[in-house]
Amino acid sequence: MLSNIYLKTLRDSRKSVLFYSIGSISLGLYVTLFYPTIRDATGFAEFLDQLPEVMQSLIGDAETYTTAEGFLNAELFSFMGPLVIGIFAIIAGMTAIAGEEESHTLDQLMANPISRTNLLAQKIGALLTNLMFLSIAMWVGLTGGSILAGFDLSISGTTQAIISQYALGAVLGLLALSVGASTGKKGLAGGVAAGVGLVGFLLDTFLSLVDLLNPARFISVFYYFNSNDVILHGINVVHFLTLVAIAVTAIAISLWRFERRDLAN
Amino acid sequence: MTTAICTTGLTKYYGAHRGVLDVNLEIKQGDVFGLLGPNGAGKTTCIRMFLDFIRPTSGTISVLGMDSRADSVEIRKHIGYLPGDFITYEKLTSGELLEYFVNLRGDTLTKAKVLADRFDLDLSRKIGELSRGNRQKIGLVQAFMSNPELLILDEPTTGLDPLLQQEFHKLVLEEAKAGKTLFVSSHVLSEVEVICDRVGIIREGALITVEEVAALRERALTHVAIEFENPVSPSDFETVEGVTEVVVTEHKMSCNVTGSIDSLIKAVAKHTVHKIESAHPGLEEVFLAFYNDDDTEKEDYYAE
Repeated sequence: MLSNIYLKTLRDSRKSVLFYSIGSISLGLYVTLFYPTIRDATGFAEFLDQLPEVMQSLIGDAETYTTAEGFLNAELFSFMGPLVIGIFAIIAGMTAIAGEEESHTLDQLMANPISRTNLLAQKIGALLTNLMFLSIAMWVGLTGGSILAGFDLSISGTTQAIISQYALGAVLGLLALSVGASTGKKGLAGGVAAGVGLVGFLLDTFLSLVDLLNPARFISVFYYFNSNDVILHGINVVHFLTLVAIAVTAIAISLWRFERRDLAN
Repeated sequence: MTTAICTTGLTKYYGAHRGVLDVNLEIKQGDVFGLLGPNGAGKTTCIRMFLDFIRPTSGTISVLGMDSRADSVEIRKHIGYLPGDFITYEKLTSGELLEYFVNLRGDTLTKAKVLADRFDLDLSRKIGELSRGNRQKIGLVQAFMSNPELLILDEPTTGLDPLLQQEFHKLVLEEAKAGKTLFVSSHVLSEVEVICDRVGIIREGALITVEEVAALRERALTHVAIEFENPVSPSDFETVEGVTEVVVTEHKMSCNVTGSIDSLIKAVAKHTVHKIESAHPGLEEVFLAFYNDDDTEKEDYYAE
């Protein structure tokens, strides 16, 4: 695990990844094991229909809420899932370069014959790999939970929702990494990425109900992650490619800035 | 002979703050060069530009015949670097850190193990648990372990006890004998004096002078105290070449001598001498002369 920067970064984050993965599996199990209770509750769908629009926007699509996929969409992919993936991604991204710089380990690392681009590529690789571990863990929790609870769950829909959520996590993590690599400031990196995530979430949920702000949904990363309820309707290719484009742009900016700036001592 | 480090017009500003100004430096391969100056003078700024951690505002740097920026990865294959305060991954053990850096360099641990034994470094302990001195030992080992052509050592003996400092000096002299180039920055003047052939003095970002250590020592002040059998007069010594600060009390005389003390000895020989004491000339005196607050005196000194 000490052969290169990629493996060393995975090694450094192994405990954190383990705990987040346990959390992701638990979350998957929790929502799937809880679903039969909601499905079997009489009059629940009617109750949802009577809720004000604002409340419904929090819960999701009232019509599909009592289906397995609709329930997971509302209870996992609308908030908790992206929250877990997003927090992990932002912390991993902000510490990738800026963390090394602020803890004064970057100089010594860069005294070895490694280019800045190579360093960045390996750090990005480790971030994306760790996010994959978490996503797989959540997928295992969901599919395993559905088997344990004895209901059919669309494997294709679930997989696509996990992939879309992975893309959202990658965008937030790479934004944090990019700001960190461009400025060397860990706090700023975390703040910007968390801000993009939080404002994106608010624009896509509550604020979209305000007529004036509704058009602003299109600048929200959450809009491109799950506005078409991926677990129910599959990935919207344009939305997914938009997330990929944002991630690629973040990488390009980090490469451009990191190559040109002075490293902090 | 190829130049190990060559800078022309090297200038670095951090925003409006001065880093270094118009530094022109040429260090030949095989040199043991000391860069001497107080904290904040610009020593570390120079070093971090050599390693391409920071980029010059203007001027050029060539290291081992290559461009410091375009060829930085190739350059770092041939450099061993030790910073003033060796800060690294505290959760790794010393052995794991050396293994990691050896892997990044595509090297083997053979020399690292020899050096770890030599500096009595426990490879099994976590770096975070080590004292500053022990951390600095890891720094020394990792700097020397890949058999680099050029060693850049920034305040290398910080935190090392006197015995280990001696061991470090021996190691430096061995590497120098093997033809390696060493660039050592320090504000510990006696250290530079022991290990370096040439010294550059840097102050407020400007390289004031570069001289052979021997030449600097020749220009250094020697404090001499002499006890005579009979009373002497100050006028017997005040006109002697290089002698200043003559103080006579009956049959005792003390003075400072710049450069050779030969003229003084000849003047003293006219009297019967009981005892002569002279303080070993150190670079401190030269250093103090360069850093004297009296600018006129300093300018006169540079003009010599």
